[in-house]
Amino acid sequence: MLPLADVQQRLRNAVVADDFRAAAPLLIGGVDATRRLAIHRRHYETSLVAALMGRFPATAWLMGTAPIEDAARRFVHIHPPTAPCIAEYGRHFGVFLAAEPGAERVPYLQSFAELDWHLGRLAVAVDLPAASRDEVAAVPPLELANARLTIQAGTHYVEASHPIDDLIRFYLANDAPERLELPDMSVWVEVRGARGAFRFARLTPAAFAFRASLANGLSIGDSVARAWVADASFDPGAALALLVDAGLVTGIDGQWAARN
Amino acid sequence: MSSTHRIPTRAGVGLRLPHIEEVVATRPSAGWFEIHPENFVANPRATELLQDLARQYPISVHTVGLSVGSVGGIDRQHLRRVRALIDLIDPILVSGHLAWSTHKGEYLNDLLPLPYDRETLDIVARHLREVQDGLARAYLLENPSSYVGFTGSTMTEVQFLNELVDRTGCQLLCDVSNVYLSGQNMGYDARGYLDGLPAKAIRELHLGGFTPEEDEATPGGKVLIDTHATRVAEPAWDLYAYAIQRFGPRPTLIEWDNEIPALGVLLGEAEKADAVAREAGRSEAHHVAAG
Repeated sequence: MLPLADVQQRLRNAVVADDFRAAAPLLIGGVDATRRLAIHRRHYETSLVAALMGRFPATAWLMGTAPIEDAARRFVHIHPPTAPCIAEYGRHFGVFLAAEPGAERVPYLQSFAELDWHLGRLAVAVDLPAASRDEVAAVPPLELANARLTIQAGTHYVEASHPIDDLIRFYLANDAPERLELPDMSVWVEVRGARGAFRFARLTPAAFAFRASLANGLSIGDSVARAWVADASFDPGAALALLVDAGLVTGIDGQWAARN
Repeated sequence: MSSTHRIPTRAGVGLRLPHIEEVVATRPSAGWFEIHPENFVANPRATELLQDLARQYPISVHTVGLSVGSVGGIDRQHLRRVRALIDLIDPILVSGHLAWSTHKGEYLNDLLPLPYDRETLDIVARHLREVQDGLARAYLLENPSSYVGFTGSTMTEVQFLNELVDRTGCQLLCDVSNVYLSGQNMGYDARGYLDGLPAKAIRELHLGGFTPEEDEATPGGKVLIDTHATRVAEPAWDLYAYAIQRFGPRPTLIEWDNEIPALGVLLGEAEKADAVAREAGRSEAHHVAAG
């Protein structure tokens, strides 16, 4: 018998890459056991295509179910999941879709599909207790710049070349016009989700840079620096107060927090 | 570590996400519920609801992604996520499959078959110990549904499971429908299979629907597919009655994962399992008295 590592490599190649040749001599089951192994290949494909279609409902609404399903069928064989939680699968399907022939006709397809994927994540999020102004004010002023804030997990920041937030709101409301021209207009959007409900807010480029940087784990000081690149008149104190008042901050990390 | 809930005497049903809000809202009469942790560890809202249900119902955790048969080892990050969920809901039982699904960083989203030989036995035994240590509790191993076997296997599945129980102290989840399905697909006697299992190690039974289709491997033949998309078939109910006679009453679960019906249909199947088990128990008592 081959080492188990070789057996599993051959079965993997059959299931993922449709190459049954090396597995055939290892198997028993019926007259042609590779046809039986094909049951696993079929399950792999159908279950993952179904999972992707479940994660990209708005994208299928926008582009049509058939082309998205065709793309999903190819995607699952090129990019297998890397973790057992299939709800987390498909994060990069938007990049794949944007490289498909014809995708250039929909220049916002990648960002729209990525937003679609994140909506699935935000729909199942729950809000955690938010930090108060007093808790943030307790950080010594000299240490504030190095502090990092934890932002509500059900928050997503997206910058797009077209108003895809309007488009996804049409999908969510099931209320799309017969024909819609999306203008060539950059948007900076904050999406909050919890327990199935969503809120969309358009931000200024500077506020977006500040909040998205914090959400990506940058310190307050570095996030302010990003915001100043977008707008030299950006007011960090007011922006921080607005962020806290919106209930978006759930934790404060830094040397100060470690000492306390 | 053991749960504060008692092991249930009534059959339970698999709790899938489409039903969770309804179960929270209606609190149906049910023996217990079983969940797949992979549906919850990335879903805070569903976990919140599950924690609520766990205060009222016994819950079992049935993993589909731990992959004890993968030569590459256990995904420790996933094991930690499962442990964290277990710590939240205090399940009555934790189980998974004699199968593999991960390979060099890929997750193949299926329960793939293993050859039964010494090397596989060593690997699965090592991984079972790691899982049981990581979860700090006994782990029940489920017999697979099989469409293929391996020319290189040197022992039967029953021999393999017996050796694993002896080596690791793991316990077994006997999926009665899988025994029937695999017996049909691979040509062995399902009752003989049950006779060979170590009765004391059987802690749970599963019943699920399967779907016959044309067997492309054998022209004119049929192959049974483990779809979990239909009611339990009559031959599986018959084998379940035999399992109860052979092992005695065991916590029994109805699995239905695809084309999921109304919750009432699932609970009806659980009631049927209770009725079949009661009848099988009476029949067994009659045999004992007559003997």
